Amino acid sequence: MIKNKKVYINNFSSVSCAGENCEELFETICTKKETIKIDNSYIHDKDLALGKIKSDKLFYSLLIQECKKVLENSNLDNFNDTLLVVGSSVGGMQNTETIFFKEKNYKKVNPTYHGIDTICTILKEEFDFYDDISFSTACTSSANALGYAKEVISKGIYKNVLVVGADSLSHTTVCGFNALSVLSSSACTPFDKHRDGMNVSEAVAVLLIQNTKENINSIELCGVGYSSDAHHMTQPHPEGLGAIRAMENAIKDAKIDIKDIAYINAHGTGTQANDFSELTAIKSLFKSNNPYVSSTKSITGHTLGAAGAIEAIISCMVLQKQIIPPNKGLKTIDIDGINYSQDIIKENLFYVLSNSFAFGGNNTSLVFGIDK
Amino acid sequence: MKINLEIIDASFIYGKKEIEDLNTKILVPKMMIRRRLTRAAKIVVELLSKVDFNTGRVFYGTSYGELKATANILNALEYDDILSPTDFQNSVYNTAVSYSSILSKNTNEILTISSGDETSKKLLKLGAIKALDEDEILLVCTETINIDNIEQVNKCIDYLEVGIALKVKLSTEKATIAFEGIENEGFPKSVSEILSIAKAFNKKQKNIVEINL
Repeated sequence: MIKNKKVYINNFSSVSCAGENCEELFETICTKKETIKIDNSYIHDKDLALGKIKSDKLFYSLLIQECKKVLENSNLDNFNDTLLVVGSSVGGMQNTETIFFKEKNYKKVNPTYHGIDTICTILKEEFDFYDDISFSTACTSSANALGYAKEVISKGIYKNVLVVGADSLSHTTVCGFNALSVLSSSACTPFDKHRDGMNVSEAVAVLLIQNTKENINSIELCGVGYSSDAHHMTQPHPEGLGAIRAMENAIKDAKIDIKDIAYINAHGTGTQANDFSELTAIKSLFKSNNPYVSSTKSITGHTLGAAGAIEAIISCMVLQKQIIPPNKGLKTIDIDGINYSQDIIKENLFYVLSNSFAFGGNNTSLVFGIDK
Repeated sequence: MKINLEIIDASFIYGKKEIEDLNTKILVPKMMIRRRLTRAAKIVVELLSKVDFNTGRVFYGTSYGELKATANILNALEYDDILSPTDFQNSVYNTAVSYSSILSKNTNEILTISSGDETSKKLLKLGAIKALDEDEILLVCTETINIDNIEQVNKCIDYLEVGIALKVKLSTEKATIAFEGIENEGFPKSVSEILSIAKAFNKKQKNIVEINL
């Protein structure tokens, strides 16, 4: 079994509260624009800061639109020979909520448009794919989808994989995170001493992964690392042991040295528990070098199952533009010994690491690189 | 492309409303943890014990996920009840295997997929691809749809709780068991293929299945 085929991200597209396309997303991140807005539509008597997509279109229309954009910019005529790999934690929950809140029963709930598979179902109504699979591991869902894409191409099983990370805002997730008392009433400020929680958000992020390098902007998906905390359902391991293993495994899979990582796009949700665990892990692992670290969730919000995919796009653009994005809202550093990027930094960089962590102690790290 | 898997061990359990003879009290002696487990988590813990799988990579499939926690959340929202944080944390699709990883201190790769009626078919394909790394892995599927008023949407599933586990590894030998055509009436379609393999499994012989990607 050949296990060393190179894997390329040849084009991508996204829509989020930070922009209706990837260029706008990256510019918004670099210029630290305000994207997270106060919202009372989910909890009427409480100000919550959420990341809503600014569009008149329905979420599923945006989903199809982003896939069409990727197809148009690809070397493919269609997706007939492409594996669809979806990562989502919400799936069709919004549909079920709408029906249940109106009807007060399940009679009109269509199971086909309830579960995680809803994203695949909607896309298969528009496109033909060779096959499909959906990952649902909460906030690592689309990072795991990308990991699987890397694996099936690296092993020579498929040539083209379309990875879709998609999660819409829903009452379940917004009110659920509120029940856990981890939501902020302003744009989140990961790693800041005065941070007060996270922002639930929504996004669609689509990446075409192939076994050939199709253009000069292609980015290599070099490594994937998985681990489980085996510690707690919602709290990450305080010493970041699972995060360390995921990052180590990704760097090992990429066959690079730890010193080669120049920037880490952190999971960085803005909760005390996540930030402490992740930064402890980074400090513990990166002793010999001190890569820049930032969280882009202060701009995108936490897009849950879509986070791994949208942060993969950001990581690709960091490498394409050779620009490290800043930490918006980081005024008073809480944990020292980390090389936080305070403003945009222009730097020659070859490898970027992106972290995703989830409920259940599910950890996934991805390494992206410029093909030399 | 075809990949052959050897089924090292297999187990399946099911019940019309609930699987009644679970050994959760013995397998999870700490009451505080046991109380938090979802039905799917209890079934996964039971299956891991039955196929003697403590640590290693686990790949899990469920079409409907944690339906009871989800229904509890919907009802709390609709009727202005307090939304339980435990229901929310237990509503994610990877809940069952996450609890089992905590209980067995399994720090390996653990993934969850959900592909509607084709969940177990897709899980077998994923399992075959993962098995190329040449370790022993666990494939496990559950459905737990025994919630109040499920009859409003369920017209064809008789067994509201079902769980299946296969401990597998890569094989270069020819297939010895065929799993097509095995009758699974009354079970969720989402577990059909993996249930058929578990039913066909015979401990007295070598069990090899061919997975078409």
